[in-house]
Amino acid sequence: MPFPRPLLLVLFVAALGAAFWRAPAPAPTGFTPPAKALAALPASFVGEMLWRDTSAVATAPSLSELPDGRIAAVWLAGTDDAMTVRLNVRDRDGWRQPLQIASRESTAGGTFARIGQLASPVIYAEGSWLHLWYGSSALGDSINHSVSTDGGKTWTQPARLTTSPFANFGGQLRSPPLPLADGGLGLSIGHDFIGRHGEWLRLSATGRIIDKRRLSGTGGSAHPTSAVLDEQRAVTVLTAADAMPAPIRIATTADAGAHWQATEAPAITTPATPLAVLRLGSGRLLLAGNPATGRQSLLLWLSADEGKTWREARTVDTAADGGADYTHPALLLGRDGRIHLAYAWRQQGIKYVAFSEAWLDGGQP
Amino acid sequence: MNILAAYGLLAHAVIFGALATLIPLGELRARVALSASTLALLVGIAPGMHAYFGTPSLTLLALAVIQLADKTPSPLTYRPALGLLAFALPFYATALGLGTFDPYALGYQPALLLGVLLPLGLALWWKRQDAWLAILAIDLAGYASGVFGNLWDVLFDPLLVMLALIVVGRQQVVRLIASRTR
Repeated sequence: MPFPRPLLLVLFVAALGAAFWRAPAPAPTGFTPPAKALAALPASFVGEMLWRDTSAVATAPSLSELPDGRIAAVWLAGTDDAMTVRLNVRDRDGWRQPLQIASRESTAGGTFARIGQLASPVIYAEGSWLHLWYGSSALGDSINHSVSTDGGKTWTQPARLTTSPFANFGGQLRSPPLPLADGGLGLSIGHDFIGRHGEWLRLSATGRIIDKRRLSGTGGSAHPTSAVLDEQRAVTVLTAADAMPAPIRIATTADAGAHWQATEAPAITTPATPLAVLRLGSGRLLLAGNPATGRQSLLLWLSADEGKTWREARTVDTAADGGADYTHPALLLGRDGRIHLAYAWRQQGIKYVAFSEAWLDGGQP
Repeated sequence: MNILAAYGLLAHAVIFGALATLIPLGELRARVALSASTLALLVGIAPGMHAYFGTPSLTLLALAVIQLADKTPSPLTYRPALGLLAFALPFYATALGLGTFDPYALGYQPALLLGVLLPLGLALWWKRQDAWLAILAIDLAGYASGVFGNLWDVLFDPLLVMLALIVVGRQQVVRLIASRTR
């Protein structure tokens, strides 16, 4: 029996109406800048190995502060073809035993898709929730999202964030999210297929992508990392991927991520390795990364003019031997004003250091 | 369980079964389709397709179901396939990084796109393209279910575009051979 044509039209109009009803139309939002530190801390610096295993590769750490003030770290570790995401928490007695919280197998089980390798993880504490995003590759790179509500002991099955229409090509994550005033989060990600550029994802409070913006003028750039300046403004620092040594590039927004503009590039060059940026309690910006001379040094730069100019502040680690390799910095500003930094140490482990802003200005512990 | 991931896996199994029916096997057609779908799930073909092509669109799934049902000829004929290619190729090029405009981003807040689909649906009804109108209604209902986050993902996908390319390419080859034998 043929389907009545008027009924088909009614069904189409009803489906269209339902789709209109479902389509998100989020109002403009703002950033939630971090609270200012109560008082300037005296100069301090402590450093320790977070994790080390000479038989495995370790890289790409990420830090977050838990509601009780403990510091949580995630990173990638394992053999080259079987990297897993590890989690560790630092309490008063130091770092505990790490947990493996994601693997190729667990990711394939959650996404029902074949997984090649895992890529950089990012952790973020939001109230009692711990968010974990991490990359996985098949033909292209995907970003997966998982949540823990018990301090990292158990995690939900990972769900893929669909950031691209073509087999999820392009979607590399290094930078922690920026909290938004509507309860959502903003993520800066790198896109590296056909054209390399930075992108901005706006996530709803439930973790769903509700907007995506291209960072204008950042063509040929990778490894975006972002910091909030105030309720409406933020800055994203990227590394040029089309030049060596690679100059850094800056993009800014004045409307909480709705539009991004490239600004004049500062005179810093790197070996095209990932960077990390952080807004300090004083309002200055802190940048961590490798200098143009190579991965054998990890440096900190300070900017007092929202990223226009930078001055070298401190060298965190440096060595001249062949194994020296200090990359993938991750920065975190603690609620007490202390600055936490983790980085990949000689590809064998993850090193953690914590210091105060006074130490950055040359003060001695 | 992630509903979108489960949909993607099962839909790829159905699509693989539909692709298997393109082999002329006569009365064995239905059994081959069922076997191919089962095999796709058991030996990792569907997870592989899910990884490499991403989540299939509802349009592709609907075409696969029509192919499996074997009741009507596939609506993906030369002209619709050519129209899809003409739209999808520049779409993918710009969405994947060519230029500054990202059309894929429009699909996250698709009020504008939905506004365009209304006259498209009316035109399909007027032209008596009932199969395509039904598929479009299924696509929109799928988006309204909240399982998909981007409207473009229910409308088309890379595997569908590849099939459209094959349909158009086959027609061009037939025309070329016909012109040479004339």
